[in-house]
Amino acid sequence: MKQEKFSFTFTCYVIILPTLALLFTFIYLPVVWAFSRSLYDFEIGSESRFVGLGNFGEYLFSDPTFWPSMLHMGALTFFLVCVRLTIPLVVAKLIHSLSTEKSRYVYRTIFLAPIVVPGVALQLIWMNLIYSDVGLLNETLRAIGLANFTQGWLTNPDTALLAIMVIGFPFVSGIDVLIYYAGLSSIPEDVNESCALEGCVGIRKFFRIDVPLVLSQLKLILILTIINGLQAFENVYILTEGGPGYETIVPGLWMYYNAFKFQRMGYACAIGVVLFLMILTLTIINIKYFRSAEEVKEGA
Amino acid sequence: MRRPRYQNVVLHAVLIVLASLTLTPFLFTANNIFRTKKEFDQSFFSFPDAFEGLIEVSALYLTGNDDQVEVVDEFGAREIVDRDEAFSRYIDYAQQGPSKAWSVLRPFMQNSFLVSICTAIGVCLVGSSTAYILSRYRFAGREVVFMSVLSTMMFPAVLTLVPSFLLVKELGLLNSYWAMILPYIASGQVIAIFVFRSFFAGLPEELFESARIDGAGHLGIYLNIILPLSKPVFSVVIIMNVLYTWNQFLWPFIVNTDGSKHVIASGLFIMARSQEAEDYSLMFAAYSISSIPLLILFIYATKPFMRGITSGALKA
Repeated sequence: MKQEKFSFTFTCYVIILPTLALLFTFIYLPVVWAFSRSLYDFEIGSESRFVGLGNFGEYLFSDPTFWPSMLHMGALTFFLVCVRLTIPLVVAKLIHSLSTEKSRYVYRTIFLAPIVVPGVALQLIWMNLIYSDVGLLNETLRAIGLANFTQGWLTNPDTALLAIMVIGFPFVSGIDVLIYYAGLSSIPEDVNESCALEGCVGIRKFFRIDVPLVLSQLKLILILTIINGLQAFENVYILTEGGPGYETIVPGLWMYYNAFKFQRMGYACAIGVVLFLMILTLTIINIKYFRSAEEVKEGA
Repeated sequence: MRRPRYQNVVLHAVLIVLASLTLTPFLFTANNIFRTKKEFDQSFFSFPDAFEGLIEVSALYLTGNDDQVEVVDEFGAREIVDRDEAFSRYIDYAQQGPSKAWSVLRPFMQNSFLVSICTAIGVCLVGSSTAYILSRYRFAGREVVFMSVLSTMMFPAVLTLVPSFLLVKELGLLNSYWAMILPYIASGQVIAIFVFRSFFAGLPEELFESARIDGAGHLGIYLNIILPLSKPVFSVVIIMNVLYTWNQFLWPFIVNTDGSKHVIASGLFIMARSQEAEDYSLMFAAYSISSIPLLILFIYATKPFMRGITSGALKA
């Protein structure tokens, strides 16, 4: 009997072995390395030198890009949080208020469709089509007689960060609308009916009933936006490479440059660890203090 | 509940405005595929010249008029030819951007297809078999295994980017397909296990019981019970995964140090940074071509696509 139990457990582990092997090789090992290598100063192929917490000290206290990059990252993330918690929710509510299921489905599909465009292509389309000198924005300004407002949106230090932010305007494509829509659809019909009986409709119903009942969706999007916002740098790399100068540098991009341009692998690992700790802290705060609808109901 | 009609009209109006704003960049891109750099320099807002020519010639066909027509080529030279010749010239004119872009993108596209398909197959095999064991059997250490799978969601990409590169380099996988496929499977399986597990756990135990009584082993149960019952959840996982792999840009860009295995996303970026970016028409055609495979998937499987995206959002 004991033999049988052992062979049963053994079979189970044989079947999940590929999962465990991949997890430990390609996720846990890099995580461990990220921490251990951040204590060294090394280039690929040369001697590494133990520096203790030196990389962290240098990054936090004497790296000239630290504060500007944190500021840019904060601004980009804050903007995204404001936008993603409001506009898609309103649009989802508008779609949800339509009278026929068919039209609701059509709009959901339309707003989702842009997701087929690869992220890189989207950034490049905005760069080439909207912001270039002969681009949609500048040509429209010229056409309506505002030619002195035209500029290199991504090369002008005053507008570069703003130009990165508004990519994706009007911010309703993608998954957010669908997530909020799912939340609105799950509001029980008797809640809606009793609201209508009480005369609670329109904007009042939206704020009193709908928003509190989609809190868990809002929380999900908030957490996702913050996590993405803190580590996003591909878009900045594609659009401005952090420039002009360091006007749009973000911490992730600085990590990338240190690793792959300046060959400072240990320093790059340290930046990665700092970002990870920031993301972890913010996520824990979010989970703890931003209560979702279910938790409010349970009286937690 | 009846709503006043004007309310619906207002809703439609607002939504249509938002939808057109959202789609504007893409419509402009689609329009500019067929315009040459020269046309673009002359005027920004315009319909492709080649299309105007095609419409003109088509009108001749429709009215049964077989007069000769004047064809204007890319460089402004005029020539009078008959309508069949004019038609084929305009077609050539219109498709020069796309065909040039395709010749640049073809190797990237092939790499993307190979990597996406291998990753999707790998994630399905590895993820579903692990989820099957985790959801249907109690064995020593099950909770530990599940928690070690779940807790990987805690580690953001930014933490592991540099060490993963060091790892792949040390394993000697740089400039190979494995450098992309293996890490993609490793991270893609996590959410797949999550999705598969909750689906498999909902299947009735009687099915498994009777299969076991009939003498089926794990493989028999997997092939005869799990697979036929789980087609919808497999399609969701596959779509989620293809979407993820197709959009990966930075990782392929980093691990292809010699540039031989670039995928569509990193290839587009390389293209945009090269001399070819001077030719607008070529670039717009390239953006459009890179979107076609997912567009086909989207049209063909809208519903699993929607479900795949919303369950993909769980991945933090």
